[in-house]
Amino acid sequence: MSGDTLVKAVSDVSFSVPEGCFASIIGRSGSGKSTLLSLLGALDKPSDGTITVDGKDITTLHERALNAYRRKEIGFVFQSYNLVPNLTALENVMLPMEFAGVRPSIRKRRAQELLDQVGITDAKQLRKPGRLSGGEQQRVSIARALANKPKLILADEPTGNLDSQTGKMIFDLLHSLARTEKATIIAVTHDLSIAGKTDMTFQLHDGKLDT
Amino acid sequence: MNVITRGIRNAFRNSIRTFSIVVILALSVGLALSMLVARQAVDAKIQSVKSSIGNTITVSPAGARGFEGGGEPLTSAEMDKVAATAHVVSVSSTLQDRLSSTDTNLQSSITPGTLGNRAFRFQRRSEDGTVTGPSTDSAAVPTDFKLSIMVTGTNNPSNLASAGGGTLTLKSGTAFSATSNDNVAMLGTSLASKNNLSVGSTFQAYGQTITVVAIYDAGNDFANSGLMMPLASVQRLSNQSGDVSNAIVQVDSIDNLSSTTSAIKTQLGDAADVVSSQDTSEQALAPLENIKNVSTFSLIGAVVAGATIILLTMIMIVRERRREIGVLKAIGASNARVMLQFMTESVTFTLLGAIVGTIIAVLAANPLAQLLVSSSTGDDGPTHMAGGGGRFMVSFARNGGLNLQGIHATIGWDILLYGLLAALVIAIAGSAAAAWLITKIRPAEVMRAE
Repeated sequence: MSGDTLVKAVSDVSFSVPEGCFASIIGRSGSGKSTLLSLLGALDKPSDGTITVDGKDITTLHERALNAYRRKEIGFVFQSYNLVPNLTALENVMLPMEFAGVRPSIRKRRAQELLDQVGITDAKQLRKPGRLSGGEQQRVSIARALANKPKLILADEPTGNLDSQTGKMIFDLLHSLARTEKATIIAVTHDLSIAGKTDMTFQLHDGKLDT
Repeated sequence: MNVITRGIRNAFRNSIRTFSIVVILALSVGLALSMLVARQAVDAKIQSVKSSIGNTITVSPAGARGFEGGGEPLTSAEMDKVAATAHVVSVSSTLQDRLSSTDTNLQSSITPGTLGNRAFRFQRRSEDGTVTGPSTDSAAVPTDFKLSIMVTGTNNPSNLASAGGGTLTLKSGTAFSATSNDNVAMLGTSLASKNNLSVGSTFQAYGQTITVVAIYDAGNDFANSGLMMPLASVQRLSNQSGDVSNAIVQVDSIDNLSSTTSAIKTQLGDAADVVSSQDTSEQALAPLENIKNVSTFSLIGAVVAGATIILLTMIMIVRERRREIGVLKAIGASNARVMLQFMTESVTFTLLGAIVGTIIAVLAANPLAQLLVSSSTGDDGPTHMAGGGGRFMVSFARNGGLNLQGIHATIGWDILLYGLLAALVIAIAGSAAAAWLITKIRPAEVMRAE
C-alpha cells in the first residue's frame, strides 16, 4: 500500500530460463526488479499469490525451510557487495559453507579455489573488504554466491557501483561462470548496453514481465 | 572461523566503543562485587554477634541488684526450672556475700579512697568496728576503715558476669567443680597477693578454714580483689540454703531470645526481674542490618545497571548492523545462529567488564565498605587493615557504646564465581531484546538501497 493506493510491485510474472543460462531483467527505477529478485530468492514473501521456482512452491515453506532453500539453492550478488567488513575475503566466501555445515578444511579449500577462479590471488584472499577495490569486492561477492554450488544465482545490479570497464569485466566473469559452474544466473540491471550481452533479456514494466 | 569466534571478533570491531562499554560495565560489576563482599562480611558479623553477646538473659530477685534493693532471693529450685526451659543452654547461678573484718582474716586489696569513704556514709560502726546500721554522720570515717571482700558463690567458675565481669584466666591451680560443696576458694590475684596466699594456702572465713585451689586474673581490679567459692558452699556457710542472688541464662540463639525471656517470666512470675540483652543486641545489630540492606539494594542496582548497559548497547549494535544481519540471513544463516553470534559478542563485552570490574572490586571494596560503615554508624573509618595475596581483610570501626570491631571483608573464589555468574546473567538478559530484534529483521533488508 502506498497511502490509500494499492501498488502491485510484481504481478503475474512467469518466465523460463534454462540451466547454465545468463539472463538479465531490465527495467526503469521502480519497475519492480529488486522486488522480483527478493521474491525469487525467498528473501521476502508475497502479500498474495504463489511463487514457483524450478517446480517448487516456495510460498508454502516455513521460515526454517526457506532458510535452507536460500542456503542450498540460491546465491546472491548485491549491488553494494554486502561483504562482512571484519572478515577477510576468504572468510566471507567460507561463510555460506559454514551455515551449510561443511567441514572447515573442505570449505577453506573450496573458498580458495573459488577466489582463484574469480581472480583474487593468495595475498588478497587474506585482506578485509576495506582493503579491496570495488571490482575486487564484487568478485569476492560472486565467489561467495557460488560457495554452496547453487542452482540459481540472483544478481541485483552487480555493476551498479562500478565503473564501466570494471562493470564489463564483472559481467564477463558472470557469463563464464554460468557455463563453467552450470549455474543459472539472473541479473537485474538498468544498463541496456550490458543487458544486451546476456543470453536472455526480460523487460519488467510496472510489475509485469515482457520478453 | 565459527560463530563463537566471529562473535568475539565482532566485540572488537569498534575499539573506542568496546573500551567505553568495558569501562562502564567494569564500574557496574566492580560496585556489584564490592557490595556483595560487604554484604557477606556484614552478614557474618551479624551471625557472630547473634551467637555471642546477644543471647543472654539476666534473672535477678525482683527489686534487688547485688547488695542493693530488697525482696526475697531466688532459689536453686527455681533455677532448675529455668534450666529446663526450651532453648536454654546453661544457667550460671550466683550467690553474693561480703566478708568483713569480723568474718575473715583476709584483708581487702582495695583501699577505700573517695568512693569507698562515700559508701561508709551509709554505715555506722561502733568503736570495735562492728557495723551497727546507717550513719547520720557523714563526716567521721575511722582511719582503720576497710572495705568488705566480695564473695561470689557460683556453679560456673568460668563466668564472672556477676562478679565484675571480664575474662577469667587461671594463673595457677585448678577451678573447683560446679557441684562442689567443699570449703575451697579461687582468689583474685590482687587479693591473693595482698594476703600472701597461693594454691594450697588456707584462710579463715565464716568460722571455717578455706583452702585456696586456684588464683585467677579477671583483668580488672574489682574482680581480682574478690574470691569465688562453690555456690553450695556459700549457701551453706552463710546460712542462705538454696538461695540465689543472680543468674545468667544462656540461650542457644538470639532468634529464640524473646520467646525464652517470655517463658522464664511466666515461670518465675513476680518473684524475679528478667532482662534480656536483646534490646542492646538490636541496638548493635541495627546499623549492621542497615549496611546489609544498603549493600543488597546497591548490589541489585549495579546488576540492573549492568544489564541495562548491555541491553542498550546490543540494541544499538543490532540496529547499526541491520543490513549485515539481513545479508547473513540471505546467505543462509538461521535466526539462532545470528542470535548466538550477537550473544557471544555481548558475553565478550560483559566478561571483559567483569574481569576489570573484579580488579576494581579488589581495590575498592575496602574504601566502599568503610564508607558504608562510617555513614551508618557515625564513627570514623577503620581501625585496622591488612592485605596479601588473593585475600584481604578490613576491620571496621565501633558502633556507639558497643564494640563491633573485627568485620572482615574477603574476596575469595566464591565471590569471583558469583561475579562470573552475574556477568553471564547480565550478558544474556541484556541481549534478550537484541535477540528479539534480530528475529524481526527480514532478509529483504539487504535489498534496501543505502
